[in-house]
Amino acid sequence: MIFLRTASAFVCACALAVMIPVGAAQAQQGPLRITIEEGIIQPLPFAVPDFQVETGEAAQLAGELSRVIAADLEGTGVFREIPSSAFIAQYSDFNAAVQFADWKAVNAQALVTGAVSVSGTNVNVKFRVYDVVSGTTLGEGLQFSGTTEGWRRMAHKIADEVYSRITGEGGYFDSRVVYVSETGPKDERKKRLAVMDYDGANVRYLTDSSALVLAPRFSPSGDRVLYTSYESGFPRIYVLDVGSVQRRVLESADGTMSFAPRFSPSGQTVAYSLTQGGNTDIYTMDINSGQSVRLTNTPAIETAPSYSPDGSRIVFESDRSGTPQLYIMSAGGGEAQRISFGDGRYGTPVWSPRGDLVAFTKQNAGRFHIGVMRTDGSEERLLSASFLDEGPTWAPNGRVIMFTRETQGEGGASSLYSVDITGRVLRKVATPEGGSDPSWSPLQQ
Amino acid sequence: MPRARKTGNIISGVGHAGLIGWILFGGWFTARPEPVEVREVAVISGAEFQAMLEAQQQPLEIAQDPQTAAPEATPDAPDVTVAPEEPTPLPPETVAEEPAEEPIEEPVPEVSEAAPEAPEPPAEVTVEDAPVADTPVERPAERVAPEPAPRPAPEVTQDPTPQEAVTPEETGETVREQQEAAQTPEATDRIITEAAEPPASSPTASMRPPARRPERPAPTRTVETPAPAPAQEETSEVDDAAVRAALEAAMSSSQVEVPTGPPMSSGEKDALRLAVQNCWNVDPGARWAQTTVTVAMSMTQDGKVVQNSLRMIASEGGDAASADAAFGAARRAILLCQKDGYPLPPEKYGQWQDIEMTFNPERMRIR
Repeated sequence: MIFLRTASAFVCACALAVMIPVGAAQAQQGPLRITIEEGIIQPLPFAVPDFQVETGEAAQLAGELSRVIAADLEGTGVFREIPSSAFIAQYSDFNAAVQFADWKAVNAQALVTGAVSVSGTNVNVKFRVYDVVSGTTLGEGLQFSGTTEGWRRMAHKIADEVYSRITGEGGYFDSRVVYVSETGPKDERKKRLAVMDYDGANVRYLTDSSALVLAPRFSPSGDRVLYTSYESGFPRIYVLDVGSVQRRVLESADGTMSFAPRFSPSGQTVAYSLTQGGNTDIYTMDINSGQSVRLTNTPAIETAPSYSPDGSRIVFESDRSGTPQLYIMSAGGGEAQRISFGDGRYGTPVWSPRGDLVAFTKQNAGRFHIGVMRTDGSEERLLSASFLDEGPTWAPNGRVIMFTRETQGEGGASSLYSVDITGRVLRKVATPEGGSDPSWSPLQQ
Repeated sequence: MPRARKTGNIISGVGHAGLIGWILFGGWFTARPEPVEVREVAVISGAEFQAMLEAQQQPLEIAQDPQTAAPEATPDAPDVTVAPEEPTPLPPETVAEEPAEEPIEEPVPEVSEAAPEAPEPPAEVTVEDAPVADTPVERPAERVAPEPAPRPAPEVTQDPTPQEAVTPEETGETVREQQEAAQTPEATDRIITEAAEPPASSPTASMRPPARRPERPAPTRTVETPAPAPAQEETSEVDDAAVRAALEAAMSSSQVEVPTGPPMSSGEKDALRLAVQNCWNVDPGARWAQTTVTVAMSMTQDGKVVQNSLRMIASEGGDAASADAAFGAARRAILLCQKDGYPLPPEKYGQWQDIEMTFNPERMRIR
């Protein structure tokens, strides 16, 4: 009897247990599922109040740090700074709780706070990044130490960190650009190598203008530069140590011309063009031993080699089809595959650090363009248009391209421009003189 | 008497004679109706009036051509045909901040080249592409205004009605109206009635269980009472404990009365989708623009996200950093646009109490 009661109770309970969830399930069949496929495109508003001054002598530096950080972020076109005149919150204590409501009220979605202390020539900067909308911090607080002379680098590093925490990808602010500085009239132009911060600050000259120099290229570690010089009367490739400004020539046979060099990702090999007997082909050279290998062997002009980020392939320019087009081949040579098929002429290809795109110069219908395409040649997009745009170089994060723009006419001058890969943000890079042939360094260590 | 009659007859005779004379000749002195017959005006109001308007407009448009022609000059038709590519470079150049850039840019020469090609006929066609839309729009209005002034009135009155009818895309607005109109009491009533009506559509039938089940806990207590009686307690107590646990677990979830209502309509879902996507800021050049994330959240009954319930439950494409950045953008979108609560029908709270949103930037990615 007991067994029967227990059994019956169990059966009833089981029936209830089964029935009730079924009813509940019918009432609410899982979460509501929505798919969002369209959004808006606009700069993300952020605020960078002047950093807190922890020592009295750091007042000016605190303000300048904040301004450089804000300029870095806003220069990307991804962010929009909210002017301090709109601030409601009074920022004065790095460790005080952030009043998110005040920052929401001015529509800030990100907030960067910091504090600066100076002791002699030593500077210490600490900062935090906040997501104002969710009222949370983005990552941990960080601090950098350096000297008063290097304050701009500290600002760039902070901006890189902020950019990275919000976008999920690396920044490019703490980087440098080597380029050809140009002065004088067009028919008597003086050219010399110069290196500067990515934003045009801290220009330093690496060579004099006694000989024509062309196409400088940073090494993957950023400590050396390859470039072509007519110092001997013929174009030759040189390797220059950026720190010591010492240089040496990469030997090539007499009667040949070598140019358009570029480092491999390992930094141990150089791919370049060599003209011999009126024919131009692509070679590689071990930078230590000087031993070279011929990669192409056609009667066409083949030049401007650029390695893929993994070093396995090379994209280059060749007119083997009758007009200059882009081709990709194995880093060891062999059969090449054409990837450009649009109208016009293609040249100076450069593989993106991300590995997904190739930037190039295109000449078509009397105009020059900087463009990008996928490595299989698809999805070609032109990012600029001008009388003469050429020589693209990628920012370390593959997000921005810098190039040379030359104006028309006898008084025309060359200058450096940058454009992001969406084509929305085109800016002129400030240089003290004219500039051409930029090459972007990796992020500094 | 005879004198009196005589004078009376005389007066009567003169009066009658005057009356007869006025009747016979009086018409000669009446003013004739004016020949200004307005018939034509009445007849013209129809087709002729429109014909007149058209006839008047044509010469005016021709007068515009030379002006609008210049912009069309974009006859860079060849360049423009390279459509997918050209549009991108142009905007950035306008974005360029430094004045020094503009003189360098080529768009200026393009316009000058266009001028010669901008004859008459092609002008009207290309005007659409040119950003000069402002000028052509303004002028026709000014010309037409003086004469057919009456026409605009009926057109204006018609506008509001069709807007209301545009339910497919703007269902979100209609939904808001229902909520803001303090429909909550009615909504709850409806839920009850729908749950009570068995023959309704299949989804409404499913509403019954949650309202009735909570009363069942009673039987569990009856099950408890028999426990102390028998001697063979151990096995039965174990069973009872299991039974109670199962019942309590089952009951606990159903005891909270949540108005579920019928499933969300596509219009209601679209309203939520539109509300969120208006704040979903996508950076098409970023790596995370290739990452799809799914975000789960719980909602309060007033359409707000429950604090700290937002979480990423899935991501596809890209690395962890990209997924985090994509989640950050999704989170900002959801929290920014909720304001006073999303436009969700409170009578269907059970349907959207938990939401999973998938943010797929594929369409936003640059190509």
